[in-house]
Amino acid sequence: MITAILIFIVTYIFIITEKINRTVITLFAAIVMIVIHIIDEESAIKAIDFNTIGLLVGMMIIVNILKRTGVFQFIAIKAAKYAKGDPWKIILFFSVITALSSAFLDNVTTILLIAPVTFVITDTLKINPIPFLTTEILAANIGGTATLIGDPPNIMIGGKTDLGFLDFITNLGPVIIVIFIITLFILKLLYRKSLKVEKENKLKIMDFDESKTIKDKPLLIKSLIVLGITIIGFTIHEIPFINVETSIVALLGASLLLLISKVDVEEILLEIEWPTIFFFIGLFIIVGGLEQQQIIHKLAHNLFTFTKGNMLFTALVILWLSALASSFLDNIPFVSVMIPLIKNFPEYGGNMGIDITPLWWALALGACLGGNGTLIGASSNVIVSGLLEKNGNKLSFLKYMKIGFPLMIVSVVISMIYLVIFYL
Amino acid sequence: MTNYINLEASKHQMKLVMMGADVKQIYSKLCYVRFDLDRCRVSYVYNINKSNRYFLERIKPYPLPYRDFNNEEDIINEINFDIKQFQNAELSQNIYKFIQINKNIHNLMKEFEDLFLYYNVPKEKFAYLLDELSQISDMIKKVQNNSDKIFFESEP
Repeated sequence: MITAILIFIVTYIFIITEKINRTVITLFAAIVMIVIHIIDEESAIKAIDFNTIGLLVGMMIIVNILKRTGVFQFIAIKAAKYAKGDPWKIILFFSVITALSSAFLDNVTTILLIAPVTFVITDTLKINPIPFLTTEILAANIGGTATLIGDPPNIMIGGKTDLGFLDFITNLGPVIIVIFIITLFILKLLYRKSLKVEKENKLKIMDFDESKTIKDKPLLIKSLIVLGITIIGFTIHEIPFINVETSIVALLGASLLLLISKVDVEEILLEIEWPTIFFFIGLFIIVGGLEQQQIIHKLAHNLFTFTKGNMLFTALVILWLSALASSFLDNIPFVSVMIPLIKNFPEYGGNMGIDITPLWWALALGACLGGNGTLIGASSNVIVSGLLEKNGNKLSFLKYMKIGFPLMIVSVVISMIYLVIFYL
Repeated sequence: MTNYINLEASKHQMKLVMMGADVKQIYSKLCYVRFDLDRCRVSYVYNINKSNRYFLERIKPYPLPYRDFNNEEDIINEINFDIKQFQNAELSQNIYKFIQINKNIHNLMKEFEDLFLYYNVPKEKFAYLLDELSQISDMIKKVQNNSDKIFFESEP
């Protein structure tokens, strides 16, 4: 048991410090756990949540094809022109596009789609891109919280519970809309004085021709139809007549689009984020090892002894703990440990039939929104800060934290009120 | 890093498309090749892609764009000939002079391009420039005819 804990802690330290690539160290630790029989081979394979893996791969394929159509640039340019080059309106429209896209696509993908357009627009307006991109990363993390497929923690929770796409959107959607509106309101107050541009630069935006961005109209139509079918599939995947996992819906959409789009399958598969997929696989095995060694069981015992099995207290502890942890740590390994831990709750709550759904919402809200707290809280934040630096606009850890951390606290307070009023 | 490259590529593509270009991004491997010969370094850059068009360029000791090739073997053969020529040219006492002249010719091309793009040049000056160029070309041919051909791995 001690060896398993040691392996987990050392792996976690390397993931946090990024001294070794997170995928490499996680896979190595997972294999070591198998080699020294902390977890047997069969259990290791069983520990891998193929629903999460399938959902990630399926959605990555769909997005990789969809982004070739230029539809995101089209929408963004249209929005910038509709805003008549007004910087705040552009921020507002772009953040709405980001939040909506992020609800249905991976956060990192969404940022990779919106950031190039943002850089082009801010270059044209001759304005600092930091307010634009800061708002977008906040919007991506907030929007991603609303659905099962929007953020990896939700995908993982969905993969290990009976909660479906509709459960997520109906339970998390309303509070996310409130958080999003309040966040934008605060950001407007913060940025209103710094968003000044020359009139002639605004006019340059009006010269953009969005129609040039659509590279392949038939592919665009096919991609949008398949994306629509996939989203409908997510909403109805649980009805008895269909009853398939979300991963099957995503993979059906992906394979259908590959079939009808005639794109080069090798190029599409090359663009899948395989390091992320293998990171998940490694993590699932490590957590499986901790479960097999009864470590998760003991952690659950300690947590629920602390909360005395009280649902309200437990939910709030999970919410705040996840939010604070996710601000500074990678939320994926954190959630992978929390999921089996929460599953143990009925045993300690003294009621095996107790409904633990509010705890899942607390975990989802905390883990996803927590990512907004610091520049290292979410992958999309890290990518944006790297891009800003390479483009000559450094966004320091503290500069971001001054905005992101208070906004994260506000969003968690709103979530707390929401959970207390509606679930606890 | 892949994310950064993809994002930069998207940004460039969007800017170029807005400028009126038709941009096609293709997957390829960019290969940098370096030979450290005894007296000089020869390096090349070329790409490999699935569309069977390979662009080869020598970048050292002086830049020289080659034609594009339809298969990768032709590139290797071209580099092979080129290196053998350089290995032989190294034997010459005049190698550094040759390299210097080539660099000067390259600079001359840049200066001429500036003239073409940034200046309104009077008609009669073109005739003068053409005449001067023709004289240099004749001079090179004359020197070729009066010199021994010393290496026959590939025809010039």
